[in-house]
Amino acid sequence: MSAPVQVLVLGFDEPSFSGGVLAELDRLRDAGVVRLVDVLLVRREQDGSFTTLAPPPGAAPDLGLVAAAVLGVSDGDPSDPDLEGWSLTDAVPPGGVAAVALLEHLWAQPLVTAIDGAGGRPLGELWLSAEDRARIPG
Amino acid sequence: MVVLVPRQLRISGMTGNVPYYGGRFTPAQAYAASHPRQPPPPPPAPVPAPPVAAADPVATLAALDQLLESGLVTREEYDDLRARITT
Repeated sequence: MSAPVQVLVLGFDEPSFSGGVLAELDRLRDAGVVRLVDVLLVRREQDGSFTTLAPPPGAAPDLGLVAAAVLGVSDGDPSDPDLEGWSLTDAVPPGGVAAVALLEHLWAQPLVTAIDGAGGRPLGELWLSAEDRARIPG
Repeated sequence: MVVLVPRQLRISGMTGNVPYYGGRFTPAQAYAASHPRQPPPPPPAPVPAPPVAAADPVATLAALDQLLESGLVTREEYDDLRARITT
């Protein structure tokens, strides 16, 4: 079983997910913090449909295949049609282009294991806003 | 380009499924509230018995006499029924 995997959807004016972002993700992976499982570039058409975009030049040709399999419906998909969860349609507006990254938080797995071992259960989880983070000393 | 049909993903937190959102609905609860299940139909009300007319001994005896005259009851049955009516 993998560590917790985050879906990060980033909007761009033009298809892009390279340069500084990828370099930082590489650094975090080397530090054992975060692993970029995959990244997929998508465009949402004005009619609401989605199309995947080709990986940027220099990227692995199979980039995005794993993310597409996780985020998209495939043939013979056993997914629950009544499931009211989250999908890309909730994040990407029509006409938008996005890079969708699957980030495995390697650091979190030992913590989750420790919480389970202590009999703890999650009651709340969120990210602090920049305004609230400013109240943290140091 | 390949068409991608987005899949509905289960929402989860980093530490697991957070079931309680400060008194607000979880996504699953919100969905359940917006898609109420139809309650099962109540059982049919019992059919009331047809009202029973107050017994009219005179009319009943007249009807019994008619049954005897028409041969639908024997003399023995007639006497038995008449005894029930008059007692």
